[in-house]
This record gives sequence, C-alpha cells and structure tokens, in this order.
Amino acid sequence: MVEEGVERLPYIVVIAAWAYVTVGHLLPEVMGARLAERTRAVAVFAAAVHVLALVVGAVASPHPVGLPEAISAMSLGLGVAYVWLAQRQLRAVGMLLAPLALVLLGTALVVPHHSVTALEETGYSAWLPIHLGLIFSGLAGFAVSSVVGLMFLYVRKNLKEKRFSAITRLPSLEVLDRFQFRAMLFGFVFLTLGIGAGGAWAAASLADPWAFDPKIAFTLLIWAWYGAALQVRLVSGRRGRWTALFSIVGFAGLVFSMVGLNFLLSGWHSYGG
Amino acid sequence: MGASQRILAVGLSHHTAPVEVRERVSMDESAVRRTLSRLRSDGAVDEVMVLSTCNRMELYGTVTNEDALRAFFGQFRGPAGERIDPYLYWYRDREAVHHLFKVASSLDSLVLGEPQILGQVKEAVRLAEEETSLGKVLHPLARRTLSVAKRVRSETDIGRSRVGIGNAGVDLAMQIFGGLAGKKAMLVGVGEMGRQVAQALMTAGLDELLIANRTFERSVEFAEETGATPVPYERLQDYLARADIVLAATGAQKPIITQDMVRTSLRQRRYHTVFLIDLSVPRNIEASVDDLEEAYLFNIDDLSQVVEEGRKAREEAAHAAEALVREEAERFLQSLRTVDVNDDLRRVMQSAELMRKAELERSVKLTRALEPKQLKSLDALTKALVKKVLHRQMMAIREAAREGDLERVKILLEPWEEEP
Repeated sequence: MVEEGVERLPYIVVIAAWAYVTVGHLLPEVMGARLAERTRAVAVFAAAVHVLALVVGAVASPHPVGLPEAISAMSLGLGVAYVWLAQRQLRAVGMLLAPLALVLLGTALVVPHHSVTALEETGYSAWLPIHLGLIFSGLAGFAVSSVVGLMFLYVRKNLKEKRFSAITRLPSLEVLDRFQFRAMLFGFVFLTLGIGAGGAWAAASLADPWAFDPKIAFTLLIWAWYGAALQVRLVSGRRGRWTALFSIVGFAGLVFSMVGLNFLLSGWHSYGG
Repeated sequence: MGASQRILAVGLSHHTAPVEVRERVSMDESAVRRTLSRLRSDGAVDEVMVLSTCNRMELYGTVTNEDALRAFFGQFRGPAGERIDPYLYWYRDREAVHHLFKVASSLDSLVLGEPQILGQVKEAVRLAEEETSLGKVLHPLARRTLSVAKRVRSETDIGRSRVGIGNAGVDLAMQIFGGLAGKKAMLVGVGEMGRQVAQALMTAGLDELLIANRTFERSVEFAEETGATPVPYERLQDYLARADIVLAATGAQKPIITQDMVRTSLRQRRYHTVFLIDLSVPRNIEASVDDLEEAYLFNIDDLSQVVEEGRKAREEAAHAAEALVREEAERFLQSLRTVDVNDDLRRVMQSAELMRKAELERSVKLTRALEPKQLKSLDALTKALVKKVLHRQMMAIREAAREGDLERVKILLEPWEEEP
C-alpha cells in the first residue's frame, strides 16, 4: 500500500483549480469579472484531472483505500455536483461547494494513511470499489444537500428579516428547496445501495458478519435519520427549512462518523495502526 | 487619409429637451429613411444613422459638410417657433462613440438599465443598413455598439432589478418561487397599488389571477379589463388555499386576513409556500402571518425598500458599466485607426512597387543581355531593398496610428501623396 499516501502532484493541480474557482466566487473583483466568469470551465478541468488521478492511482496501486482516498472521492463528488449545478440557476451555491471541495481535498492530502482492518481479513475484492463508490456517491449527495440547505436558510432569513440587498442575486427558495431534496434523495438511494453492498460482501467473506461495528451502527443511524427526513417531507408535506435542518444536522453527523469514529473506536472499519 | 474623418453625434434627449420639443423632432420609420437619404444627397454626411425614440432623437455620422448638417437641424422649430439649437448636443470622435455606447447600454436612459433601448438601437441600425448609409466607419461602430451593450448587460447588474412597486413585487415573487409559471395569485380589493402589482405579475407570466372584492360587480368589471377570474368575497378562506400569492389592497380598517386563516389554508395546501403582499394602510393582513413557517408577508414599506435597493444596485452597476463603456470606446477608436492606416500603407507599398518595377525595366533595357537567372536575382535584390528601406517608415506610421497621433501620420504619409 502506498504508505506516503496518494500521488500528490495531480491533486495539487486540482487544489489550485479549486482555489481559483473559490476566489472567483468569493472575491471576483480580485481577478476581474472576465476571469471570474470562467469558474465552471476551471471546475470541469479540476474534476477531469481528479478522475484521471484516481484512475491512474488505482492502476498503479491496485487497492487504494483508506481515509485519504475516501475524502478525496467525496471532494470529487462535490466537484461533479458543482459542474452540474453551476450551469443552472444555482451558480450561487458554488460559492459554498467550491471551498468545501477545496478543503476536503486538502484534508485528504494531509491525513495519515492506514489500511482498513477488515481488509486484512478479506483481502482485496471487487466488492470494495462497489461498496465505496456507492457509499461515497451517497455522501456527496448529502454534502450537496446540506450546502444547498445552508443557502436556503440564508435566503429565507433574508426574506423573513426583510433584508433585500441581495435580492434577485441568489437562487430562489423554491429552486433551492427542490435541489436540497433531490440531492438528499440521491444520497439516500446510494447510501442504501452502498450499505446493501457492504452487507452482501460481509456475509460472503467475513467469519462473523453480524459482529458489532460502531461505524456500521452509526451509519445505520444516519440512514434512519435521512429516511425520517424524507418521510417528513413526503408524508406531512413540510419542506423548506425542515428539510434544510435535517440535511445539515445529518451531514454534521456524517462528518463525525467519517473522521471521528474511525480514530476513536475500533471495529472492522477502523484503520489499523 | 480615411482616419481623419470625424465621427459626430448630434441630437437631443430627455436630459436636454422637454417633451414639447422632443415630440416635434421625433421621427417615424419613413421619416428616418427620408432623412438618411436626404442628408447623404445633400453631401452633409458620408455615413449616417438616426436613432429616434420617445426620449431622444440622435444622428450619428461621419460628417463631410458640417454647415449642411447645421442647416438640417436648423429647420426644426420648438413649440414657440424658436430654433432648437439650445437643446442640441454635439459630440465628436471619442465623445460620440462613448455617447452611442452609453445610450445603447441604457446608461443614458430615463430609467437606468431599461431594456427597450437596445432594441431601438438595433432598429436604427437596421434602417440605416437598408438605406445603405453605413460604411466602413459606422458599420463596425454599429456592430461594436451592440456587442458592448450585451457585454454591459451580462457583466454588470444594470439590468437585474426593475423599477416600480409592481416589479418589486415580481422580484420578491421570483426570489421565493423562481418563476411564476403554474402559480396562482389572488387580489383582494381593487386598490390602485394592488392592480399595479397584479398587472406586473401577469406580465411576468403568472398562470391565473383571482379577484375578490367586497362588491362583486367591481370584481367583474376589473376581471373584464384584465382577464382575471372573479371569485365571491364571502369564500375568501376557500380561495386562500388555492393562491400561491395573495395581494391585499382594500380600504378595510382592520385585518381581513388573519393568522388563523393563513394557518388553515397552509394546512389545506400541504404547506406549499404562500407569498403575501399587504398594500393597504391600515394593513389588511395580520403581521403575525409572517411568523408562520411557510408564509412570507411583506407590507408596503417592505416593497418600497425593495424599490430603493433596486435603485441603489442600478446606480452601483451604472458606475461599473460606465468604466466598461469608456474602455470599449477607447478600444474601438484604436481599432478604427489601425484599420485606416492599413489602407494607406497598402497604397504606399503599391506605389513603391510601381517605382521599383519601372526602374528595373529601365535598367534591364540598358544592360540588355541578361540571363534569366541573373534577372531573377536582380528582381529579388530590388524587392528586398525596397522592403528593407520602407520597413522603418511603415513601423513609424503604424506606431503613430496606434497612438492616435493623426498629425504625425499625416506628415509621415506626405511624401507618398499622389501628385494632383
């Protein structure tokens, strides 16, 4: 396994690209309107280099899995979401997505790399990329949902407090609400599939697939949380701020589970050390 | 030398002339066409276009005879039979280009950023094109004008927010719903403000407008004027649940839409957002309605504030746009100059080439028996010589043109002027 972590250079290029996009959103006057307009093209470039780096990395070292790759994959998910959203009415959401992608990728480059305990028992399997791919697609969906949710709360607060300085410059409540819901639904579907794939893999290869693992327990909790969020929305019809709050709290829990639990508690998913 | 031809902008606008004057000089399409051809046959201008709207009448042209042009403007009379000269502005070259860019970008409009003017400029260009009165100066100028106006629109916030209470309501609706397709509004009462906002919402693409008034006849009347649907006032509560937008503009002395009513309607409409505007004083909608999760209530002061924010934003944007337009005017003049000396330089090269050929022929005649190979190298030698000798001069002319120093260009070109 690559002890020194992922091959750095392409990721530094990607980070630079995200930094450009971030500055383009937050301080457009620094680079001038014309350059700031090109953020989407630069984001496409960043995502493309990122995918390329992942593929090359996967070919060079056949089972690249660990916290850095996981976080990096999530950053990629946000990048793809950015490219997708930036051409719609949601350009303003980019001002949150771009820095988040930047910070996540930066984190991926500095966190220590350890192998996952369970892998030492099962060895590498084709299940691994499926399990990880599904789970992290789901997580990226939740990340997008919470970011859009934050924007929703901000726009709503402006309207409720009758502050109109940013009026017509930010996406509308209804558009934000629709996207936070879609992203959450996407996340939920993929997380469900990812958990299913993990379960199937465990049942097929682990001696005691039902042994307690704190990460699994917490993930199921999060799954139930998002399930409840969707239930509230679809059954009782409460959307908007309700969905946004569910989404933001859910994602905070997720980040905790991803970063915190792996180090604090031990189980299959903990990183040996 | 083409570069010396001056671009002129002459005209009057709401800034300089009252409506009594403007209406007398205003031209319809056929008058514009007649003016274009007449000014050219008079020899007043070489190229020309005329922009006539209700706020301005302006002529842009490359002028060959300014007196003839003055005579043209001299024939107009104000309401008291006076000449209109005091209302006219005359802009030349840089100022003329700058003015046209400003006008097309709606920086000179009565309402900053209003979008109609660009269409009117396009129309003026079309007419001039059809009358073939655009040439190598005005043609690129017209094209650049349209692209500058587009750039201003896309790169600044000038056209983003609109003017008036009605449009403030539309802006708020857009911030909440993103679009009005499929949305229903209900107007309660037929007060003037309410009509204004309702009208603006209809224009912005509202699906259906319901109207509830205490006297049903007046709702029917209003409905006939506007294509709204009258509904009985007694059933306000029922219709409340169907409306995504509620406008209240009655003369009632106390609230007619209470928090309880909106709470009930929200439950009935499964908590789909409702946007309420209270345009009446005293207010017709209980202020506590805004405390409800999915209700967004704004009163007349809030709307005025939106209008004010819009004005401020437009002014800031106008600042940025002004800088952009100035820079573009500069760029345009620059490009115009470069294009112009290109013709002159080509002419210089041609006459040098003619001289070279003549000299070469003469010397060939004198020396007579030259091998074709020798002839060829002699030709190449003279060609290179002429090119080399001319090179520095060409560079100097180009340099002077780039700096816009027309005097120096003229002096440098003088030896090449053809003998009369």
